[in-house]
Amino acid sequence: MAGVVDVPQQIQTDAKIVVKAITSVFHLKKTRTEPAREFIALKEINLEVKKGEFLVLVGPSGCGKSTLLDILTGLAQPTSGAVYIDGNKVTGPALDRGIVLQGYALFPWRTVRQNVEFGLEIKKVPKRERRAISDNFIHLVGLDGFADRFPHELSGGMKQRVAIARALAYDPEVLLMDEPFAAVDAQTRESLQDELLRIWEATGKTILFVTHSIEEAVFLGDRVAVLTPNPGTLREIVKIDLPRPRHNSDTRSSAEFGWIRRKIWELLQNAPHESRHHLNAVPVAEAISPTASL
Amino acid sequence: MPTRAFVSPWSLSRWLDRSSLLLFFAAWELAPRAGGLLETFIAPPSVVLMTLWELLLSGELCDHVTISLGRAIAGFTGAALIALPLGFLLGGNFRTFERIVTPVLRFLGQVNPFSLFPLFIILFGISELSKEAMIFWVCIWPILFNTITGVKGIDPLLVKSARSMGTGVVPLFFKVILPAASPGIFTGLKMGAGTAFFMLIAAEMIGASCGLGWLVWNAQINFQIPKLFAATVVISVLGMILNMLLVTLERRLLGWLDSSPNH
Ligand SMILES: Nc1ncnc2c1ncn2[C@@H]1O[C@H](COP(=O)(O)OP(=O)(O)OP(=O)(O)O)[C@@H](O)[C@H]1O
Ligand SMILES: [Mg+2]
Repeated sequence: MAGVVDVPQQIQTDAKIVVKAITSVFHLKKTRTEPAREFIALKEINLEVKKGEFLVLVGPSGCGKSTLLDILTGLAQPTSGAVYIDGNKVTGPALDRGIVLQGYALFPWRTVRQNVEFGLEIKKVPKRERRAISDNFIHLVGLDGFADRFPHELSGGMKQRVAIARALAYDPEVLLMDEPFAAVDAQTRESLQDELLRIWEATGKTILFVTHSIEEAVFLGDRVAVLTPNPGTLREIVKIDLPRPRHNSDTRSSAEFGWIRRKIWELLQNAPHESRHHLNAVPVAEAISPTASL
Repeated sequence: MPTRAFVSPWSLSRWLDRSSLLLFFAAWELAPRAGGLLETFIAPPSVVLMTLWELLLSGELCDHVTISLGRAIAGFTGAALIALPLGFLLGGNFRTFERIVTPVLRFLGQVNPFSLFPLFIILFGISELSKEAMIFWVCIWPILFNTITGVKGIDPLLVKSARSMGTGVVPLFFKVILPAASPGIFTGLKMGAGTAFFMLIAAEMIGASCGLGWLVWNAQINFQIPKLFAATVVISVLGMILNMLLVTLERRLLGWLDSSPNH
């Protein structure tokens, strides 16, 4: 594979995560209407995330957010470029990164507690310790009393909390979250956001958070990286200087909040217009990911 | 096979079930006493119970039941031992191959076991093996097809989620693939067990010298109506027990399944 050979295994850096010139190309199979061709999902993405930082990725459906997260997790290999965690190249999945996938992805045959303990089992943590840890994280996400329920007995918001607790339980330094709050109602969403900020402040994790919602991005992030599609490129990184702590305050109604939100909205609107022409070449149905949750 | 919702043993509907059963037995007991044709063809429960008791005392019943169950278990276990690994391979690792061989497998699955039975008798004689081969044949298809469907239906997101936590191949299989495919597997096993028992009786009626099916057949040609009824009752009771065991097992193993109607 191109690129794998010429990237160094280690780099000197202070950043927690370094995304270096990531390009990801999918080889689309021949269809009835179209010949086989290549589709550039991500093009030359460069990004650095500081330790303890909360970075949010926004962008329209199909711009490659999930693809980038898969690469960060180590579940997918980039076509070229590399990802470094603490200066070490990512070669596969590991427990130093916790991921909350798009969709809850809870194991339906496991109770809340057993779900939360999954990573700990993989890590071979002894049973008694596992229990103490899961108790702690179930409490942290506010699900005391639900430890022995099965996922199908929970509401969407509760499932989402379990997924977060599961990712936190094995104590990863980096938390990667792919549209974790997309499937819950607006009110639950806001309380989950508040809770996430509280957890982030309490644990000091480095968080990379993907969302469709500009408002959510501005509310949560230290910085917001704006991606544009066709091909997925990093358009700009916006620094969010809103004071913290932001939960339990009127952050959302402040003038500055509105101003930043507007700025990001414009960045997304004024995506380079060539991309429209690209869209003619790329069938829309394919440009939009099948997991789109609009 | 009907899957019954859980009903508390003391609920009203349970009592209704029971009262209907009691009524049924009462009618059965009284009808033959009306005399005539019914008397010749129907043995009342009291007589059937007597016959059962005699069969039990002579040890005959126990022998037949043991032999029949032994055959069923041997055929079923053999089928499961082959169909489960094969199902995992075809449904998981070798999807393309699975697409190629599925038509053949479907065809084989449709082959009527009764038309094969003479072949089994030619091959294995009227031995245990010919009956076991028949059970094997009827069990392997539902187990295989349902395992393939179960494995193919695993939510890739669950596998992705487990892999993101650095789960290795072996834990991935036992902690994710196996439980995720278990509803399909269980459906297959249940269907297999049901048909196995059903087919066994039939096979024993055609070509056997012992077993419950043979008992029915033997009673028939000797016109031993009470014995025929006794054997039939034993078969029904065994079938019910089997069904109850499966339902209990299902509740134990698959209690986590969302059983709400909107799912
Ligand atoms: N396995 C694949 N094969 C081919 N193309 C793919 C594959 N996975 C993703 N793509 C394409 O790559 C692009 C980016 O997909 P991705 O899932 O990363 O988008 P996204 O930004 O996460 O979208 P959404 O917000 O809808 O989740 C899409 O156009 C999608 O069609
Ligand atoms: Mg996505």
